[in-house]
Amino acid sequence: MKPVVVDNNRIFRRVGVILALFLLTISIGVPLLLIFWQSVYPDGQWDWMAPIRTITGQHLSGVLLNSVWLGICVVAVTTLLALPLAWMMAKTRMGQHRWVDVILMIPFMTPPYIGSMGWILFMQKGGYLQQWVPSAASWSELFFSFWGMVLIMSLHLFPFLYLLLRDAIIRIGGNLEEAGAVHGGRAGYRFRRIILPLLLSSYGMGIMLVFVKTIAEFGTPATFGRRIGYYVMTSEIHKYISSWPIDFGKATSLASVLLSVCLVMWYMQSAMSRKFTYRLVGGKGQRSKRYSLRGGAGWLCGLYLALLLILSVGIPYFSIIAASTMKLRGAGLSFDNLTLDHYRELLSWGSVSMKAIGNSLGLSLAASTVAVIIGTGLALAIGKSSSFMQRVIDLFSLLPNTVPGIVMVVGLILFWNSPWMPFTLYNSYGMVVLTYVVLFLPYTVQYVKSSFTQIDGTLFQAGQVFGGRPLYILRRILLPLIIPGMLAGWMMTFTIATRELVGSLLILPPSMQTSATYIFAQFEQGQVSLGMAMAVVTVGMTVLMLLGIEVLNSKRKWNAS
Amino acid sequence: MLGMKTRKRSAMLLLSAVMSISLFGCSTGNSTTGNAGQAAGEGSTATASAETTKPAGGKLVLYSAGPQKLADNIISGFTAKTGIEVEMFQGTTGKILARMEAEKSNPVADVVILASLPSAQALKADGLTLPYPDAENADKLNKDWSDADGNYFSSSASALGIVYNTKLVSTPPTSWAELATPAWKDVVNIPDPTLSGSALDFITGYLSVNGDKGWDLLDSYKANGVAMAGANQEALDPVITGAKSIVAAGVDYMAYSSKAKGEPLDIVYPEEGTVISPRPAAILKSSQNVENAKAFIDYLLSDEAQKLVADAYLIPGREDIEATNRANLKDIPQLKVDWNWMSEHGDETAARFSETFK
Repeated sequence: MKPVVVDNNRIFRRVGVILALFLLTISIGVPLLLIFWQSVYPDGQWDWMAPIRTITGQHLSGVLLNSVWLGICVVAVTTLLALPLAWMMAKTRMGQHRWVDVILMIPFMTPPYIGSMGWILFMQKGGYLQQWVPSAASWSELFFSFWGMVLIMSLHLFPFLYLLLRDAIIRIGGNLEEAGAVHGGRAGYRFRRIILPLLLSSYGMGIMLVFVKTIAEFGTPATFGRRIGYYVMTSEIHKYISSWPIDFGKATSLASVLLSVCLVMWYMQSAMSRKFTYRLVGGKGQRSKRYSLRGGAGWLCGLYLALLLILSVGIPYFSIIAASTMKLRGAGLSFDNLTLDHYRELLSWGSVSMKAIGNSLGLSLAASTVAVIIGTGLALAIGKSSSFMQRVIDLFSLLPNTVPGIVMVVGLILFWNSPWMPFTLYNSYGMVVLTYVVLFLPYTVQYVKSSFTQIDGTLFQAGQVFGGRPLYILRRILLPLIIPGMLAGWMMTFTIATRELVGSLLILPPSMQTSATYIFAQFEQGQVSLGMAMAVVTVGMTVLMLLGIEVLNSKRKWNAS
Repeated sequence: MLGMKTRKRSAMLLLSAVMSISLFGCSTGNSTTGNAGQAAGEGSTATASAETTKPAGGKLVLYSAGPQKLADNIISGFTAKTGIEVEMFQGTTGKILARMEAEKSNPVADVVILASLPSAQALKADGLTLPYPDAENADKLNKDWSDADGNYFSSSASALGIVYNTKLVSTPPTSWAELATPAWKDVVNIPDPTLSGSALDFITGYLSVNGDKGWDLLDSYKANGVAMAGANQEALDPVITGAKSIVAAGVDYMAYSSKAKGEPLDIVYPEEGTVISPRPAAILKSSQNVENAKAFIDYLLSDEAQKLVADAYLIPGREDIEATNRANLKDIPQLKVDWNWMSEHGDETAARFSETFK
């Protein structure tokens, strides 16, 4: 006994699913297939064994294990960093300090290779730390190790997990926990039996993306990993694509292994989320209780936050700023070695660097806006991942995050630049936007999905009962509930797009630079100070922009959760 | 739901159209507000002018391996002389080759400048280069570095030496073998030959002279803690900051230009001789602007451009032009390298080297 409206809805949903599939096939599926095609069909003949041979030969199994082990360790450390922080910001008075969120986005906005460089300059022999505290030489030994790398990558990625967890904790609200308390559950028990199961779906999604980002990360392994001789899949893939001799076949074979690892992860995560998805956002009002922190606990939380900020922002940025204001790199930290010339050169009007900044901002705005619109549509089509088709879409929309960026980009180039294409997007502005959208779509999809799956269906039914048309329901019920997710996705995409490097290096039309490629070029050219100055300027601008959004956003009603 | 989808899609198209139109305006606006005290004077038109005005000379697409300043100077000189607008992609040799590979079916580059001779020899062998035997001044080029049929021209070169931090090193080593002695344990970097074309040229060059015995030196480097450290600049930077003391097989022009800036660096060329790494330029067969490409090669070999090369602390490709700010070719002890052996054994050498040093 179902009303007609629901049937209509079902048809709409099916059409949506088909549309989503089509879109994803064109933008993601075909480019990746072209890559596989290239790996098994080199020089015009079939060679099915090529990928297998690549993986079994050349000691690559060790490299694969390195990648996976790094991913697991980074997941563990990011959890340690992000979970207490998420609880504090969701459940205590500290959450009223919205600026903390923006500051915490800084590590994420920093191009990974810049962050790693900052740490390297700080900790290395004769580095900034030793120039202050000569006795710290033994720390240097300790730091330049596998765990140092895990720490750097975790500090770079934890904001991402933190945002997901914090939003999830806020959505859980106080009612359920109070119910537990009323029935005599102690704090530990309540956490174990109420909060934890409810968090698992968001947490699973978060750690899966952290894991995948870690094993697909290129910047840190390229700078720090190379120093300590820890090689991972991405550095190998990059080697085959960017150093002589080029071997796309090998690179794509490796990428397919990486992809398989990520698919397994994805499967485990989606199985877990399906098991632990609960309707949390229902029709009843939410009261969320915030603990006021007094005495020891308050101090402890404050100390924790301070330490985290020093490690994730303070130290790398001290190095970056110090390096950007040095007259001579060889003269070390001293006041007579200070100069602002690099900034002057960087910000002189009409210079290459100014154009690069403009390009970065423009591209990121365009890409993040498009990505949010498409990503929200996809997330709604995926819904609760109940049907097989929806799971396929889910998988597809996550693919760009599981394929190393560089491989995805090469696929896109092969596709949009192939002779049989009626028009070529390659070497145009549109191509760059398309690439960014494809690369960063997963973020929006994940954020929106995570807020959408927790909405109780009864809300929509209520809307229908009261005669709301689909559009009205969309406008008055669905959108207000998923806008925080959309906004988070938009911000995430924007910040990552402003620092995207690997793809940009390959896809930007000649003569066009973004701030990230500019920085990279300066490093290649030995103008480290100029590159660091650019990093400071770009990140500074992004922070100001996000602060502005944060201020506007906190005036809105939907944030009153 | 369907209504929503279609609305979304049209909204998306609209948005992206509006975005791309309005972006230039707001991005420049943003950057002016982003830095205080910037006068937004006559600059606001400068950003858009490059795309809108098509000069009579047409255009040229150049893919060039560093140094960037030199490439910029050469381009502006060329444009001033011919009116041809140049679009440049700048990257390492490997990045350029990767880009060319990706663009195989729709090539856009007219001219490439690489930093490794074997790479250019491979381009020629693959039939990707367009011979230009009548290039002006090609007869004055160093014969060993350029193709007799005009498939590639080395307009500049760098020599590889031992670059050291003058604060940390008072008596620099004088031979390649000395770097394997205990005095230099754990303080030496060497660039990664899979990234740096010049480092590959050095290693293959050294092996082409010493045969398999050459590996003894490299193995003893490894045993002495010599670290493989990325491309040239990545290998050099720790030496400038004092984290390491020495770069083995460092490109000399970087050392000279940093030294001129005042950094505590200097360079020696070992007595037993070193390798010169030429930087070949080639016209691609797929070029859409052949005449412009030829004009560019002519300019590259002209007195004016060769002087720019010398100013960038590189060795000019023409033998009749002297550098005044660095060691000239005749002052650098050279190994008698075999370029043919080098281009044949480049891949396996690079692979074995990275295996050894991992």
